[in-house]
Amino acid sequence: MKSKDLISSLFWMALGAGVCYGGIDLELGTLHDPGSGFMFFWLGIIMVGLSFSIGLRAMRAKAGKEGLKEIWAHGQWRKIISVLLALSLYAYSFNFLGFILGTVFLLLFLFKSVEPQRWSVAVLGAILSTLTAYLVFQKWLGTQLPKGFLDLG
Amino acid sequence: MDLLNYLAIGFSVAFQPINLFFCFMGVFIGTLIGVLPGIGPVGAMSLLLPTTFKATPEAAIIMLAGIYYGAMYGGSTTSILVNIPGEAASVVTCLDGYQMARNGRAGPALGIAAFGSFIAGTLSILGLMLLAPPLSRFALQFGPPEYFTLMVLGLSVLIYLAHGSMPKALLMAAFGIVLGLIGLDSINARPRLTFERLELMDGIGLVPIVMGLFGISEVLLNIEQAIRREVFKTKIKGLLPTAKDWRDSKGALARGSLLGFFLGILPGGGAVISSFISYAIEKRVSRHPERFGKGAIEGVAGPEAANNAATGGAFIPLMTLGIPPNVVMAMLLGAFMIHGVQPGPLMIKQNPGLFWGVIASMYIGNIMLLILNLPLIGMWVQVLKVPYKILFPLILLFCLIGVYSVSNAVFDIYIMIIFGILGYLMKKFDYEGAPLVLAFVLGPLLENNLRKSLIMSQGDFSIFFTRPLAAVSLIIALFLLVSPIIPWMGRKRREIPKE
Repeated sequence: MKSKDLISSLFWMALGAGVCYGGIDLELGTLHDPGSGFMFFWLGIIMVGLSFSIGLRAMRAKAGKEGLKEIWAHGQWRKIISVLLALSLYAYSFNFLGFILGTVFLLLFLFKSVEPQRWSVAVLGAILSTLTAYLVFQKWLGTQLPKGFLDLG
Repeated sequence: MDLLNYLAIGFSVAFQPINLFFCFMGVFIGTLIGVLPGIGPVGAMSLLLPTTFKATPEAAIIMLAGIYYGAMYGGSTTSILVNIPGEAASVVTCLDGYQMARNGRAGPALGIAAFGSFIAGTLSILGLMLLAPPLSRFALQFGPPEYFTLMVLGLSVLIYLAHGSMPKALLMAAFGIVLGLIGLDSINARPRLTFERLELMDGIGLVPIVMGLFGISEVLLNIEQAIRREVFKTKIKGLLPTAKDWRDSKGALARGSLLGFFLGILPGGGAVISSFISYAIEKRVSRHPERFGKGAIEGVAGPEAANNAATGGAFIPLMTLGIPPNVVMAMLLGAFMIHGVQPGPLMIKQNPGLFWGVIASMYIGNIMLLILNLPLIGMWVQVLKVPYKILFPLILLFCLIGVYSVSNAVFDIYIMIIFGILGYLMKKFDYEGAPLVLAFVLGPLLENNLRKSLIMSQGDFSIFFTRPLAAVSLIIALFLLVSPIIPWMGRKRREIPKE
């Protein structure tokens, strides 16, 4: 049994069922005049059918290298989670901290935590990259980046 | 005569200083992202899309197109010198290009890759120039049923050519259409799957999805695998291929150009497939197939010509029908829309300056690329030496700003992070992102044309089988989708990735 295919098929099946329900909720209409939910309903049915076939094939397949353990074999998931947490925190505090402060903190964290650099490289890299991005996007291209509580920029 | 007049208009547009600047920026950035692993042309185009908002549509499309064909040039450098393809279309160049470098022939390998790319790129522009106008006149006769079935055909080819399981690719396409339909219904303005979030009323943006699936997820995979790159330590000399090299390569260049161009036009085809097929053909027609994999110059010339010719071919369905044949063109379709231009049969007539300007800029861009990739090869080798631990925070930073600057919404950053996680898991669980993105772009068009067709025929599905072009497209699509059940077709499909 290919456990990873079985797990993914269950996920897509649930999502497909949700889409199907969403389609019914939006009204299917008729073939003469398809409603807002027409496409969703049929796409949901297709998703459920396809995930069922993937799951069925996974159950019939012999156990091989494709197990769940193999997927996480590299053992670097701590790095992945720390990067994702840093990005989410950056997004959450973006308007409050502002672009300059938030970005310096984010880059400092990325330079130091995932593949640790010397402090001098990390600090200089974070400040220079932030300022370059600020000059290019805010000053040259006119993007409205948030100034934050310190009103920087 | 008309053709020459139009081309003159095109060059007058392309030679405007601002357009020359954008063309140079496009091919320069294209080469850079081709050289750097971890971010492909799709990611780079979505990243730089906001930088074109203040530019004219001509300048914007010239730059974005430059990134696409520039990446094809740059990708070969890493394949030859590091044995790591800068992007997917250069995977096959590793086989003989790196062996040539190991044999002390890095110069001729880089040279034939650049010249081959230039020749094929120029030939494909010629093909685009000759084929696009008559095809767009023909496309004026198309109605909703033809458009619907052509889009179904495009998605079917992409699904058929997917690397792994076809049900998985089909599932991704269905999910992509669902995502594309989120937002207000185009017919009755009813909110659909918006969960009462104001940000979703206009639908999910293409840029956050692409940046998440192709940018963030790629970074996550790379930091997990800890990329180690060692540039092959050799002095690069003799970039000009010898007379014998040219004799050995000329057939491969011609075949690669033709093959790449026509495969580029086909929906779902494109640079990656054409480079692989070109390599397989060269190996089969060669009198010494045993040299392949050990440094045969034809093994570099053919695929490099094919992947560059495919970029020109891919513009044809987008510019004449408004249907993107692959993900990169889907991204370009998004750019056209943002700049208020609707690609399709009327585009060449309504925007001759834009269409011919982009074509003329490709000639200029190809010459710029030849200069960038031969005399300046040393600069790209230096770029290759930048460690990934320095590079990845910068890629993440540009993803974040790129996404934010499209709509000034933090919500889009969250969407990008969610799709980054989804893209990472999809790669772990062997699901492809390309069918999802193409279906996401085609979804609203697909639904619109299906609903219009059904209203036209009063709910009668036979409308798709009584109109010749619609019927042919649908039959081919159905044939491709059921092909895994037919034994010899299923075998053929499994052979494509092996070759």
